[in-house]
Formats: sequence, C-alpha cells, structure tokens
Amino acid sequence: MTAPNTDYRIAHLQDRLAAEELGELGVRIEARGPGVTVTGTVPTAQCREKLVRTVDEELTGLTVRYDVIVAENAAPDRPEEVT
Amino acid sequence: MIRVAAVGDIHLGLDSEGLLRPALETLPECADLLLLAGDLTRHGTPEEARVVAREMSGLPVPVVAVLGNHDHHDEQPERVTDVLREAGVRVLEGQGTVLDIDGTRVGVAGTKGFGGGFVGRCGSEFGEPMMKEFIRYTRRCADGLRTALEDLAEAGCGTRIALTHFSPVPDTLAGEPLEIYPFLGSYLLAEAMDTAGADLALHGHAHAGTEHGMTSGGVPVRNVAQPVIRRAFNVYHLHAQEDGARPAAPADVVG
Repeated sequence: MTAPNTDYRIAHLQDRLAAEELGELGVRIEARGPGVTVTGTVPTAQCREKLVRTVDEELTGLTVRYDVIVAENAAPDRPEEVT
Repeated sequence: MIRVAAVGDIHLGLDSEGLLRPALETLPECADLLLLAGDLTRHGTPEEARVVAREMSGLPVPVVAVLGNHDHHDEQPERVTDVLREAGVRVLEGQGTVLDIDGTRVGVAGTKGFGGGFVGRCGSEFGEPMMKEFIRYTRRCADGLRTALEDLAEAGCGTRIALTHFSPVPDTLAGEPLEIYPFLGSYLLAEAMDTAGADLALHGHAHAGTEHGMTSGGVPVRNVAQPVIRRAFNVYHLHAQEDGARPAAPADVVG
C-alpha cells in the first residue's frame, strides 16, 4: 500500500475546515519541501488553537509549519487622505 | 471632509464577544461613519449575528453594512440582516442610503457582489445552467449597485461610496493565488462603479490581498479585510467634490 497522497490530504483538510466550526477563513495550506505550511490570519486565539488541533490531527505524520496570526483589534493610529 | 471608517471580514463568533468594542468606542474621535464590508460572522447564524449586533449597537456614528459569503453560509441571510437592523445597522443589498454628515449628503451604495473574474480572465453566461446563473447573479448584484449609485447622485449626494464584499478589481487581490481570482470578485462591479460614478470603493473577502487599488475609470479601491489592514478598522478622509461626486467615467473616450 502506498503512503497517502499529501495533496489529497491537504484538500480533504481544507474541506473539513470549511465544514466545521472554523469555516473557510482563507487559511492557506500548501505542501512545501518535505512538509506542509499553514499561513493566514484567524479572528481569535481560540480559532488558532482549533486550527492547529485540526491540522495536526488530519496531517498526522507530516511536518507542519505554522505562520498563523490572530487578527489585530487595535484602532488605527492615523487616517489615509484619499485624493 | 468626510471621515470614513471601514473594515470587513471581522468573522465574529461566539468567542468574539467584546473584542472589537474598545476600538469602536474611539470612532467618534476619528470617523463620521463606519462601513462594514461583509463577512461579519463565520457561518451566518443568528447567534453569531447577535454577537455582531451587540458589538455595533449604540455606536455614536452611523453603521452601514453589506453581508458577505460567510453571512450566507447558514442560508438565513434575511435573519442575519434583521438582527443587524434591529441593532441600528443599515444593511444594504442593491440599495443605497443617505447620511447627513455635518450638512453634507453622503451616499453609500452596497451589494455583497459575487465572483466571475476580471476582464479577459472571466466566466461568461455560457454552458450549463449553473454556470450561466453564476454570472447572472453577479450581474444582478452589479446592476443593483449601479442603480443605487445613480439614485444617490440624483438625491444630491456630494460624496458617494460603493461598498461590496467581493472585489471590483484585481489590484487589491495581489497576494492571493491567481487561480482563485474568479472566486474573489468581478469586473462587473467595477464597471457599475465607473458607469454610475463613485468617490471610493471599499471591499473585503481577499484576506491575503493588498489594500490599495483603482478601477479603470479612476475610482480608488480599498480592500479593508481585517487580515489586510491589521486593525479594528481603517479611516479614510474623503474631500467632498465641489461640483458633486466624482462623475461617471467616460465609457468610450478615444485618445
């Protein structure tokens, strides 16, 4: 039996994320080198924890690198003059 | 001068209660109105909409919103709209609203919009019924936006803003994979803005995109998706046109 195809595992992971409580949050999951990278911005720290749990579960056995940040909720420090 | 605060893609859920409120409380100091460019919730449930409603309720500036695709996911966009309206948010779909900002009539025209792609790289009304309906739906959104912008001009609005969730231009998608551009916006939205005229276009949806763009007719476009602006909202200062809002771009100018 051959090892599960990483491309399809990523595709199924994306389907699962969209179907479950996180929804489709524009998180990018890509095979890169020997592992997988997960990048994007999520609304809350709880979302990030849930994302990491789900990815780790779905991609067991693969090296996963995360660059996922939580949205910043600070007021802006200056406006833009639109001309 | 009109001070426009805007953000999209805040994706509030049941764990988001109160997160945006401290920043929103500062709005009266820096903005005259707040525009929400869709994807206010994660799944479009009434429960999530109530979180948004509580976050927005009682703000001392008018709040105008369009829904996004996430706000449709639970297939109850009407309930989401009702919950937000009960909290005082003006929710637009193919409609406009006029705000009086210190004696200046400011018009906001809104639609969620939809995909289809951009000139030379877009879908068309051809083939399977679902494909035809895909493009027709976007066209209906764009037609609603154009009509609303025209109505705002007739209503004497010196400043007009086009608010969408999907993008009108590819400029603000830079950073997203090229392959998904047709799912992120449509040139039909930009054509509607250029035909009717607008002073600013605001959208969300493209989390990995960039903030700045412009329609081919010269309307400044800003992608205010929260992951892009990395703030609770951004503020844009618009200087009202002395002779009315930015006119429609000439459609057939030859050099």
